[in-house]
Amino acid sequence: MIPQGYYWLNIALLAVGTIVIRGSIIALSARVKISDRLKELFTFIPAAILPAFIAPAVFFHQGEVSWMMGKERVVVLILAAILCWVTRSTLATVGFGLLALYLFTNF
Amino acid sequence: MSPFRRGFKGMLPIVPGIIPFGAVMGTVSADAHLSFFQTVSMNFLVFAGASQLAAIDLMNQQAAVIVVVATGLIINLRFLLYSAAMSPIVQQESFIKKFITAYCVTDQSYAVMISEQDHFKSNHEAIQFYLGSCLCMVIVWQSSVIAGFIFGNFAPKSLSLDYAIPLSFVALLMPTLKNSKYVIVAIFSAVASLLLQQMPFKTGLIATAILGICLALFLTRKKAAK
Repeated sequence: MIPQGYYWLNIALLAVGTIVIRGSIIALSARVKISDRLKELFTFIPAAILPAFIAPAVFFHQGEVSWMMGKERVVVLILAAILCWVTRSTLATVGFGLLALYLFTNF
Repeated sequence: MSPFRRGFKGMLPIVPGIIPFGAVMGTVSADAHLSFFQTVSMNFLVFAGASQLAAIDLMNQQAAVIVVVATGLIINLRFLLYSAAMSPIVQQESFIKKFITAYCVTDQSYAVMISEQDHFKSNHEAIQFYLGSCLCMVIVWQSSVIAGFIFGNFAPKSLSLDYAIPLSFVALLMPTLKNSKYVIVAIFSAVASLLLQQMPFKTGLIATAILGICLALFLTRKKAAK
């Protein structure tokens, strides 16, 4: 369970910070330009931060499928990543991943 | 057809990409035992899916507030680019329209605007179009989150819904890996996050992001020097 006060504090700060990011340049001026260098750097943010969520969540998870040494989440994630690379579909990636994990752990 | 309605229709082709992500958001919220009010409030207040998903994941692990907020804001930094693109169009509009424009800045609304930007006769028409597309986005996003929330409350426990978070992040990550430099940064980030896992209050996440951006800085600087 996520404590109430902790939850609302996080959401309030995240909401304020996000609207500041979204609105700052609109509020400042029409003349603010972002350099191409900074634009390019921004495109690296997903690659810099998303794997930091994905890797520990699957790698350190102790699963239950003995023939995969409890690492079924790693195996399914690699398969889902390949599927995502081919299909570029969120639905296919998440749907396949959840279904494959269910099948591995229940049969 | 009015620009507003054109904007609404312009968002429709992107809807199939929004629904599953919204559904995951709602499902994960239910899985984290958030109330319906908490889920819907977060959607309205933050209105930025990837950072919301990251925040729930981190709050589930009792990460420090500074880590939850900083991580979410790093993920949302890209909105600065979209905001800069919208700024010249909206300068003559009222404060309310400026605020709504800023609030509705998302990957999807930006993508729809970019695809149509050569067809606008005036800034006013562009804003009407933008607001129409945003209304569609808000309706679809909120509905799919609510649908996911209901599903999450009824889904059997044997379906490991927490696993939808890393899967969704894979779906978000893959299209951004445009060349080998992005792949190098992604692999570096994965390895660094594993090595820094023991840092207190999930601060390893922020450290990983900063190191990843530094690596990107280095990789792109090398390219510029050639």
